[in-house]
Amino acid sequence: MADERKLHSPGVSSLLGIFPGQTPPLVVAAALADPPVDDDILAKRPLGALFWFALVWVALVAILAIIANWLPLPNPNHQNYAAINASPGIHHILGTDDLGRDLLSRIIFGARVSLVVGFASVAIGMVIGGTLGLISGFKGGRLDIALNAGSFVILAFPAIVAVIAIVAFWGQTLAKITIIIGVGTIPIMFRVVRASSLAFVNRDFVIAARTLGATSTRIVFREILPNVIPAAVSFGLITVAGVIVLEGSLAFLGLSVALPTPSWGNLISEGTANGNLSINPYILMWPALAMFLLLLSINLIGDRLRQRFDIREGLL
Amino acid sequence: MFLSRGAATGGIILVGAGASAGLAGCSSGSSGSSTSTGANKGGKAGVSTGTPKRGGKAVIGTTADIDGFFPPTNHWDNNGFLYANTIYDPLTAVAADGSIKPYLAETITPNSTYTTWTLKLRSGITFHDGSALTAAVVKANFDALKASALTGIALEQVTSVTITDPLTVVYNFADPFVSLPASLATQVGYVVGQAMLDAVSKSPTTPPHPVGTGPFIYDTWQPNDHFTATRNPHYWRSGYPYLDSITYRPIPDTTQREATLKTGGVDLILSADPVTVNHFTGQSPYQVVDSLSDITGEPDVAFILLNCASPPTNDLRVRQALAKATDQAQVIKLFGGGLSQPSNGLFPKGSKYYSNTGYPTFDPTGAKTLVSAYKQQHGTPTIELVTVPDSRDIKVTQVLQQMWEAVGFNISVKTVEQAELISNVVTGNFQAYTFEQYASPDPDLNYVWWSTTTVAPPGQIALNFSRNSDPQIETALLSGRRSPDPATRVKAYQTVNERLAQDLPYVWLGQTVWSEVGDARIQNFANPILPDGSPGQPFDNGIFFPTQIWMAG
Amino acid sequence: MLSYLLKRLAQLVVVAFIISVLVFLLVHLLPGDPTVSILGGNVTAANRQILLHELGLNTPLYHQYWIWLIHALHGNLGQSYLTHETVGHVIATGFPIDVELIIISQVVAFAVAIPVALITSRRPNRPLDNIATTGTFGLLALPPFLIAPILVAIFAVGLHWFPATGYVPFSQNPASNLHDMILPGLALTAGSIAVYYRLLRSDLIMTLQEDFITMARSKGLSNRRIMMRQAFRPSTFSLLAVAGVNIGALLAGTFIVEYLFAMDGLGYSIVQAVQQRDYLLVQGIALVVAIAYVVLQFIIDFLFTVVDPRVTRE
Repeated sequence: MADERKLHSPGVSSLLGIFPGQTPPLVVAAALADPPVDDDILAKRPLGALFWFALVWVALVAILAIIANWLPLPNPNHQNYAAINASPGIHHILGTDDLGRDLLSRIIFGARVSLVVGFASVAIGMVIGGTLGLISGFKGGRLDIALNAGSFVILAFPAIVAVIAIVAFWGQTLAKITIIIGVGTIPIMFRVVRASSLAFVNRDFVIAARTLGATSTRIVFREILPNVIPAAVSFGLITVAGVIVLEGSLAFLGLSVALPTPSWGNLISEGTANGNLSINPYILMWPALAMFLLLLSINLIGDRLRQRFDIREGLL
Repeated sequence: MFLSRGAATGGIILVGAGASAGLAGCSSGSSGSSTSTGANKGGKAGVSTGTPKRGGKAVIGTTADIDGFFPPTNHWDNNGFLYANTIYDPLTAVAADGSIKPYLAETITPNSTYTTWTLKLRSGITFHDGSALTAAVVKANFDALKASALTGIALEQVTSVTITDPLTVVYNFADPFVSLPASLATQVGYVVGQAMLDAVSKSPTTPPHPVGTGPFIYDTWQPNDHFTATRNPHYWRSGYPYLDSITYRPIPDTTQREATLKTGGVDLILSADPVTVNHFTGQSPYQVVDSLSDITGEPDVAFILLNCASPPTNDLRVRQALAKATDQAQVIKLFGGGLSQPSNGLFPKGSKYYSNTGYPTFDPTGAKTLVSAYKQQHGTPTIELVTVPDSRDIKVTQVLQQMWEAVGFNISVKTVEQAELISNVVTGNFQAYTFEQYASPDPDLNYVWWSTTTVAPPGQIALNFSRNSDPQIETALLSGRRSPDPATRVKAYQTVNERLAQDLPYVWLGQTVWSEVGDARIQNFANPILPDGSPGQPFDNGIFFPTQIWMAG
Repeated sequence: MLSYLLKRLAQLVVVAFIISVLVFLLVHLLPGDPTVSILGGNVTAANRQILLHELGLNTPLYHQYWIWLIHALHGNLGQSYLTHETVGHVIATGFPIDVELIIISQVVAFAVAIPVALITSRRPNRPLDNIATTGTFGLLALPPFLIAPILVAIFAVGLHWFPATGYVPFSQNPASNLHDMILPGLALTAGSIAVYYRLLRSDLIMTLQEDFITMARSKGLSNRRIMMRQAFRPSTFSLLAVAGVNIGALLAGTFIVEYLFAMDGLGYSIVQAVQQRDYLLVQGIALVVAIAYVVLQFIIDFLFTVVDPRVTRE
């Protein structure tokens, strides 16, 4: 039934992103997910070449980011004044920036920051927000009202003020930025998981379990959680994409990890500053391209997986 | 990326907009030059010898907006002075040769001991509301300025002001004070009408309607959007102004400001980023004027401010090592558009105060030795280098970080916003900050920044930010303040400069480069003529006079 | 119905109040204070105390908040410490700018997303769909601070079709206003296009699998008719919900575009106010944005229940 997908109002309307000037990560997530498609409409095909491409790209980026220290790369922060704005060539495969720093090296080390910020912050949001959402959806009542109201308030708060203030008195290390963004995704994850678990709470199998004497904990974690996970993971994966782009905007505002540590956001921001766009477009181009490919890949993986493992509600 | 609106501010009004915590600064002061092309009548950029055409409107793209038009309470950066030159007049102004000439004043003369200055106003000048410019109004202005938390410091030395006739004001000092005329060319010299003073007294938190004597009359101001002023038909300098109206549009992003000039959205832009000079030089039909060559008074310089009272920068060897480890030429090449020369102190070559100060030259080996010596006693020196969140400033700190770490320092780089930065600097809660300051028509106006009387321990507020307490500097400063003999004064400030090169509270990064770029139509923006007919200072670190501008075609 | 309205009104008041307290605490915890912005480097200990006293900032925090609250309830949100412009005036000039930016960006987003989705949803995972998907990801990977300079370089400096910066109020000159707003609006729209397109496509694909579509087809209705009359309508529900969310997030999030295009909107004003520690301005704008957000959610929820009677109200 079409309306089973819809969440109770005000649930849907409260799917929220909180960060400025940026399509909110969860909206991105909600929108980007491919729906499960009937075999009749979709020509029967395996996961597909594109899927494997995407997987390879994500794996490559992740592996390079992890082993970056052991790769024969120049120091990403080392400025070589003799090789400023060098075009791609033998010595610098992707060229150098306006301080003579090797672009390939900066992108690989930058991937580290972007991936950590992306995955870890969403993980925080999912674990904390997701758990709260599960419990809240299941229990209902006053706890639910309170948590719901709380998340609504957080989402109505002007995010940019919060980020500026928190960064000003706390700091800009990778860990801190990850936590700040992570905490920011909690209300979103809360609402999604809650809405999702609400859809299952009154199902026959849940009622059956209860009749059989299962404890609440068991019901939540054995019956409801497995049904909620596919949607949550799918959303989560795509929220990662949104957060990676968000990090870019924060970098533009000087609110991401402290320079000179590279992150894709920092790199793109440096690429647009000081007239670099006309002098040396490579500074901008490479990280933007890398980010574009990563987002594409994550989405492809996410929705192919969802197609594979999605449990049509009508089948329950 | 984004400069807070006051990013160019931070300094003392004495020198009319002094310090800036970033390297994209501000301030008035000396120097103005015309370099490069000028596709305009007369050949020299910004200077037009053709017959001025009356009428028309000019639109100017500026770097930021201001807080307000009231000198006692609104802190003016270069944009403040632009607006002030539009609707007000200063009592004195700087001439092209660096001397101070009377402007609103007709004469300003000292007594033999320089403890009294007598200022005679021109007669027949009226404010925009019709009221007359009298000594009483000037005194009322003075009283407001002296009482203000913002401007009081600049007028500290004045013990009293008296009126001897309707057009004569007398300033009295306890000790000889040579630089009063120079002060009156800065924020404390702009005269506003009595009605405006009264409005503020009555209702201090309502923005008063600006009333001045200037070439244009205040029309509308939408903060962060635009400021428009219209021609004053009763302006006391007959013949001026030529324009019917002038509008200023603040455009914070430099690239966008340049784009707006290219698309014809504005007729003239100002820029604190040296790259603008390189972008437009040689590009017909643009006229480019920058702040580098003509050196009068004291220019705006960029430097690293070091805390002489906290470790490790309280150790002279550390400061020497930092100076020796800094390759100024490289920094200028990377960020200054290769336009300025490395500094050895406050004054550039060509200035009458210039001397061979003995400031350390680029010597990484020497720096390493000093750092090792320090290290043996105290361990590796660790310094936090801080700047504002501006992309160019951040890059400069990264370059310095690499240069300083190459000689053995452990450097971390941090950004804080302007408000916090100034707060930290003032309370001595810092080690090394990027800064920009000291532009002034006369070095004496910078007294408070270097005096031993304005030092306080870290934790307490002090105007001598670096907390460098040097009695020789104090003696020299007082000598310059009190002696009218030009040779003595030059010697005094050379001494100050040389002592600074010894004490090293500052690591110099070269002069800042301001520029103004006009399109083909706007004429004569860098060629002001003072009331006595002599040429005025053409371009003063982001400040010009709109009085003589006209639009061709 | 009335109780529902009252309940939502109560929600509005509670949310606004809590947010005002949180914002108040947050900005006051920031290091520094407005004296530095006002005095610049001319801060002496004495000056600072005088100024703090004048501004009413050396009383205890709860007292300051209380004063603010009382004034706010009387409609007086105070003034900027620096320019003395009233907060109300800042909001009155800034809010229309943001509203217009949002409207333009959303109109363009729908105008692009809907037709493309209608076309590609009929043949999912075919080449055209894949191209659209890839293109969408290009848009998503291009944040506003990246798109804006590119748009300006091409359309303003290059082609001279639009101005690089500037803004004229609609009431003053509608034609100029729209002309000025196009590039900024486009800079904001990319993410929205991606989101609406994907969502609509996703909804359409699912709807097209429904039985009632199969039935319509078996009746011999043309594909186009099916699409427009049967499939599209139910799909608009999620679109509406997501639009509400998207717009809500854009409300004070337009800072980057306002900064680049030199527009005096609320995003720019609030960031500047935080940087200058202009407390009253931060509070006033945050309050207005929060209220606007809650009202927006209310409208969306309400539209939702009106449009789809099956959805229950909580």
